[in-house]
Amino acid sequence: MTRLRLGLAILLLLTTAAIAAPWVAAWLGVDPDVPDLLARQSGPSAAHPLGTDELGRDILARLLFGARVSLAVGLAAALASTAIGLAAGLLAAWRGGWVDALLMRLADGLLALPALPLLVLLAAMDPAALGLPRGGALTDVLRIVLILAIFGWVGVARLSRAAAISVLARDHVRAARALGVSEARLLRRHVAPALAAPLTVAGSLAVAGAILAESTLSFLGLGIQPPASSWGNMLANAQDLVFSAPMAALWPGLAIAAAVAGAMLVADGLRRGQETP
Amino acid sequence: MWRMIAWRLPQIAATIVILSLAAYLAIGAMPGDPISLAMMADPRLGAADIERMRALHGLDQPLLARWWAWASGVLRGEFGYSRLFARPAAEILWPALRGSLVLLGAALALAATLGIAAGMLAALRPSWRAPVDALALASQALPAFWLGILLIILFAVTLGWLPAGGTPDAPGMLEAGRFLVLPVATLAIAHLAAYARHTAAAMAEVLRAPWITAARARGAPESRIALNHALPNAAVPLLSILALDAGALVSGALITETVFARPGMGKLLTDAVLGNDHNLALLALLLVAATTLLATLAADLAQRALDPRLAQGR
Amino acid sequence: MIGPMTDAKTPFGATALALALLATPAAAQPRDTLTIGLAQATGTFHPNIESMLAKSYILGFARRPLTAHGPDWRPLCTGCESFPTLENGQVVQETTPDGKPGMRVTWRLREDLRWGDGRPVTAEDLRFAWEAGRAFETGFGGAEFYRSAYEFQSTDPRTVTLRFDKVSFDAGSAGKFEPLPAHIDRPIWEADRRNYRSRTAYDTNTTNPGLWNGPYRIAAVQPGAGVTLERNEAWAGPAPAFRRINIRVVENSAALEAQLLAGQIDMIAGELGLSLDQAIALERRSRNRFRFEYRPGLVWEHLDLRLDNPVLSDVRVRQALMLAIDRPKIVQSLFDNRQPVAATSIHPDDPMIDKALTPWPHDPARAAALLDEAGWRPGPDGIRRNAAGERLTLDLQTTAGNRSRETVLQVIQGMWRAAGVEARIANQPPRVLFGETLSQRRFQGAALFAWISSPENVPRSTLHSDEIPTAARNWSGQNYPGYSNPEMDALLEALPQELDAAKRRPMWSRLQALTHRDLPAIPLWHRAEPHVWPQWLDGVRPTGNMSPSSLWVTDWRVR
Repeated sequence: MTRLRLGLAILLLLTTAAIAAPWVAAWLGVDPDVPDLLARQSGPSAAHPLGTDELGRDILARLLFGARVSLAVGLAAALASTAIGLAAGLLAAWRGGWVDALLMRLADGLLALPALPLLVLLAAMDPAALGLPRGGALTDVLRIVLILAIFGWVGVARLSRAAAISVLARDHVRAARALGVSEARLLRRHVAPALAAPLTVAGSLAVAGAILAESTLSFLGLGIQPPASSWGNMLANAQDLVFSAPMAALWPGLAIAAAVAGAMLVADGLRRGQETP
Repeated sequence: MWRMIAWRLPQIAATIVILSLAAYLAIGAMPGDPISLAMMADPRLGAADIERMRALHGLDQPLLARWWAWASGVLRGEFGYSRLFARPAAEILWPALRGSLVLLGAALALAATLGIAAGMLAALRPSWRAPVDALALASQALPAFWLGILLIILFAVTLGWLPAGGTPDAPGMLEAGRFLVLPVATLAIAHLAAYARHTAAAMAEVLRAPWITAARARGAPESRIALNHALPNAAVPLLSILALDAGALVSGALITETVFARPGMGKLLTDAVLGNDHNLALLALLLVAATTLLATLAADLAQRALDPRLAQGR
Repeated sequence: MIGPMTDAKTPFGATALALALLATPAAAQPRDTLTIGLAQATGTFHPNIESMLAKSYILGFARRPLTAHGPDWRPLCTGCESFPTLENGQVVQETTPDGKPGMRVTWRLREDLRWGDGRPVTAEDLRFAWEAGRAFETGFGGAEFYRSAYEFQSTDPRTVTLRFDKVSFDAGSAGKFEPLPAHIDRPIWEADRRNYRSRTAYDTNTTNPGLWNGPYRIAAVQPGAGVTLERNEAWAGPAPAFRRINIRVVENSAALEAQLLAGQIDMIAGELGLSLDQAIALERRSRNRFRFEYRPGLVWEHLDLRLDNPVLSDVRVRQALMLAIDRPKIVQSLFDNRQPVAATSIHPDDPMIDKALTPWPHDPARAAALLDEAGWRPGPDGIRRNAAGERLTLDLQTTAGNRSRETVLQVIQGMWRAAGVEARIANQPPRVLFGETLSQRRFQGAALFAWISSPENVPRSTLHSDEIPTAARNWSGQNYPGYSNPEMDALLEALPQELDAAKRRPMWSRLQALTHRDLPAIPLWHRAEPHVWPQWLDGVRPTGNMSPSSLWVTDWRVR
């Protein structure tokens, strides 16, 4: 259980920091998005505890506001993937036959494709073509969440399908079904409890994956657009000047590593918790 | 077993056909075709020139018709011409594929060896569990390009021991090896965790099995139990990771290839997709998809062979 | 983690030793090879198919075009004996057979020009280039030159005359009309004209020496990764200093800098290399290791404004937006004053620059007054509103992934905000921005990008009202703002036909005055190319124009 606690503690800390971002910025007296050309790439000081970036913006404030975006991307992408995957998996298990075959071949196909070039392809599409307005951090977050969910649901779908099939095959469930117990009740009483545990594990892993994926998209110039900050785009922006200002790259890198490690510890802790009840 | 192959192969073929169509349409649906980009570069192109060039490139045809023309070409063994590199697509593919096979082959071999060793260590020696866990966690949590750049700063720029990227001018294994060290390390670190975790979990489970206890009771040495009894049984779940990694072997590693400026499938695929190079992108995508699907099939077959329970189940 | 590691007791100890054994020391060799880093890969090597900067840089080593613009921006002969002008009689005004004003231009090929297989470059090579260019199914770009050049004449193997059905002051610089090796490519072209673009020896047999007539020839190609150039044995001009030149493609700019610092590449081409701020930061740290030269080139960074947006159709608003941007401060703090603030699209070194026209200053008070006058009054949230209560907001776009432009855009956003204008940044990947948003005029506000041009290039395609892209015209033309001014149209039509440079000057001044006043685009600056080369290399002369510095490789010397 120590892993679970440690993981939760890290995530809680990061979430608190993200929530506190406006107050910290106000306390420091800085605006994370407004450039100050007179204070470019300054070192740590009382006014800027972690220094400033290539446009003179406070790195700490940007890191904290970036936490909001990055954690939101991670959480939303995980929720979306889990929701889609759960629905697809249950549908496949319930209906069987051609529905099952179709969904699972779709899943196979998505797993067989190299994800990154296709993420790039989707990210390069015009958001207006998908009915999203252009610009704005919220649109960017939605766009990235959507893209990650398109690939993320597959794992969850397979997992929930397997779990649902094994539950539905149990004698008492088959008996209940034969007796005409409503499907909703069946789902609530028998399938849901069996799924809860593996889904929380998969969900926390998805959070970790989405945070890493956001940084990769940013590296390719397809992530959250400036001036809004995310850990991924801070890291990507620091890259060009990494030899002269390495610290600007160090902080967001560490933040990403901490968040991913936190989510993975949670997943790990949950999994071990299930194995030895 | 043959029945399973006979059942799965047509499905794989159908999946590939549908994937090719979907990918073709998706690439074609991206804004900005090659001619619009050429217009930007050459102000002297007039309206008539543009129409003429679109017809020349076949861009005036509907996407579906273009896919059909492409697919029938592939069936005749003609993979077409890469728009981006101005060479036959197949000719461009090989160097990139070779680059990825070498880079990922070395990285995955290293990751699997170190990962399995670390996992076994964690399962057999309780005192090693925490460090191995921490290592696996760290290796998965670091963004690849960040790690790559840190390694370059340290080993190439500051210490000057290793090249910062690229490929060697001079032939020779040693020289090629020097250029491989940093990218292989970057990739191996990222892949190591999965092997370590799964090995540790599977070993721990096997070691609790009654027949291991029996072997211990018979006085078999611990090393023999680990290597001869436990590891083969723990290998079953590892096969599915290996199968997924076989896909990575041909799909390359975009970030590592970019940061270390090495030719490879990851960069080739991305350039082809973003550069509207249908022939090259599709050829590469299909190669990756076919490899992954076939490797998954092979892993399923191997798992059945190793674990009779699975075969009886169906 | 970043500093040098000297402590032997690090956990890396053992590994470090093993790695040190692997590392072979870089022995002092005679410098007969040069390795150049380039940030872009090339596609085709055919000089007339597609235009790409990386290709033009590489071909500069291996091919001699007829003419080029020198580092002093004067047109000169590289493959011909003397540059055609009216004065030397090589340009003659005449009437076309159907009675239109036309001209004939004569080039005389240099005697010592040879293909790498020893065959002389002759009029037949130019005749082939002209025929292939005119056969539109071949698919060369820029068909207008070939459409206009209706007759090819050659009296002897070294003399070539083209007759044009229109008059143009720059007819002497042949543009992309340059010799193609007829003895190699003509049979390929004649066999299948439609597929010549995929069968040309430039791409199927790139290392054939007969394709190259420059000081170097392409000896090996690693698609997407680089090119190896070796001395062209048939080259009769001054011998170049290096036996071999390696061109390395490193598209990631941090990786490019790393390879330079690690000593794997000797120099970085300014034409396509580091970003300016990256080079400035590098110079601060390693001034002694490398030489730096910043050449402000014919790359005009600007904001195209969508003129049919009701907000931007008011010239006072456009002028206010201009006045609100503190360009000197941006250039000073981001670019170390390395690139000049632009008055118009015309470069300060251009022969036709109107020096009397000064760039718009930074003047927030005047900007505020203009906005007030245009009916945009300060609102409660600091953003101005009009009488109808609409907020003064604009889309602001550039190419995603270009960090230098993204940075500038954020600064401009901040400066406009201070003037009460809200700008929403919506960056797009280059192919979306260039391939659709701009070229099909889907942008609504301002878009930051650059135009590349040549000295005294008449900006017809960006300013003439006929060049506003529409669906009916297949979206051809580059007048993305939608600028339409009859006086400008007349100027753009008259300028090319005026052969007297002295008479062109006032026309150019008027053109600059009009764009300065009307601001269809907000000029920012002329981008500087940062050239980085080693201390031991002399003679590299960045040109800042479309002729790459590699054309003068024979002047490069080891110190």
